Amino acid sequence: MSESGAKNKGSLRELYDVFFSKSWPMWVGGILLGVGNICLFIVLKPWGASGGVKNWGDNLFNLMGGDFANMGAVNLFPYSVLCIMLLLGAFAGALFSKQFALRFPPIGELFKGLIGGLLMGLGAVVGVSCTIGGFFSGWPALSLGAVVFTGGLVVGTWLAVKYLLFEVNKFPKLSSGKTYSILDAGKGKGSWQPILGFVVVIIGMIVAFRYTGTSSVLAWFAPIGLYLGLVCQRSRFCVVRALREPFMSGSSKPALAVMAGILVSMFGFVVLKFMGVRGEMIWVWPHFWVPAIIGGTIFGFGMTIAGGCTVGSLWRAGEGHIKLWASIIGMMVAMPFTAKFIKPAFFDALPDSMKQMFFLPEKIGYGPAVGVFLAIMLLWYLFVKWNERTGKFSAY
Amino acid sequence: MQGDVILDCKGLSCPMPILKLAMAIKKLEVGKVLEMYGTDPGSKDDVPAWCGKTGNSLLEVVDTEDGFTFFIRREK
Repeated sequence: MSESGAKNKGSLRELYDVFFSKSWPMWVGGILLGVGNICLFIVLKPWGASGGVKNWGDNLFNLMGGDFANMGAVNLFPYSVLCIMLLLGAFAGALFSKQFALRFPPIGELFKGLIGGLLMGLGAVVGVSCTIGGFFSGWPALSLGAVVFTGGLVVGTWLAVKYLLFEVNKFPKLSSGKTYSILDAGKGKGSWQPILGFVVVIIGMIVAFRYTGTSSVLAWFAPIGLYLGLVCQRSRFCVVRALREPFMSGSSKPALAVMAGILVSMFGFVVLKFMGVRGEMIWVWPHFWVPAIIGGTIFGFGMTIAGGCTVGSLWRAGEGHIKLWASIIGMMVAMPFTAKFIKPAFFDALPDSMKQMFFLPEKIGYGPAVGVFLAIMLLWYLFVKWNERTGKFSAY
Repeated sequence: MQGDVILDCKGLSCPMPILKLAMAIKKLEVGKVLEMYGTDPGSKDDVPAWCGKTGNSLLEVVDTEDGFTFFIRREK
């Protein structure tokens, strides 16, 4: 190879390493996800995660002869496609950085993944939200129910951290035992991973391209999903950590990353809603306040036990963690059944005043509503920073 | 390098490795070294951050066949 050819190759290598040799700071992930979220809202509606996984479950049980919701086939319902592509994007991200491996945890951990997933499924349907639809996208949508739902998440997370500390102390056996790791890229192995990464991305883009003839929404949702998954994996973006770390290590970084993403999304969402480009009530869920607090608490507990919310489970599943596969299976089982057998009775029993869609600008106008959300975020910021310094709420 | 006590966190995902690390260090005598095995890519960021925050020393990180090994000395 000529000298300049070698230098060009070196420059390309350098570019590749920028993206795939080390994890990205989580706040970079937050901002990039915020941008992706705005793109989704421009195409159709904001980001949401559990709706897609619920659709997988509905389709699975309908295939088995059940009579569950029918929102469309998994390859036609936009949020279902988004979740599949997100998982693929995370898979590609893990391959590019040689971090993929099928990691089989001890059996107790698999069980915790499943239980966590079941609880998340229950909480997501009862609370009409998850960490994405009811928090990461719900706040930018200026829904007050999203704030209540997040309050529930915090309570659930706090309880689950108490449980985990108890478990590690009293039942350390539950998280130890035989484990397996296959297809890993340990020392000197795994040069096939980046190559397969390119193949996965190319397949993803072909899938996206094939939608162009039938649905421009899907043709955009597919590559955006791929992008979201890649960003999540590379930045290890995790809403569970944002809410959990104040009670564990005290680190404020994950919380700041989520705030960064919410801020960016809010900018775009407010413009789209205020200008009338998109409906004002979009992503304002009928869960203020009782379903939000109950569903949020159950979801928060489940995600902390599982070690990932819906999106966290999806991208970690793409990275090869079998525990999070169990979590996804749990959600796929719990959501269809909760929606059919529990949610209708629960919602019927509630008076209308307890299951409202609460769009804050409707009451006080856009400016003050944005101000209220910024003030809540400032308080949150001050809390996590103060707690990081003093360790008041941290376990260690 | 060799640790005084071994902590096997292979196959575990966040937050279990850090929780187990925190518990194991509590049980370790000051000055002794914990040899921790892991396979979760997240641990590669989390363990150094945890050591920095709690004032324990991360002496070495070694890539192994199927993951990595951390050597952590309890400082206080």
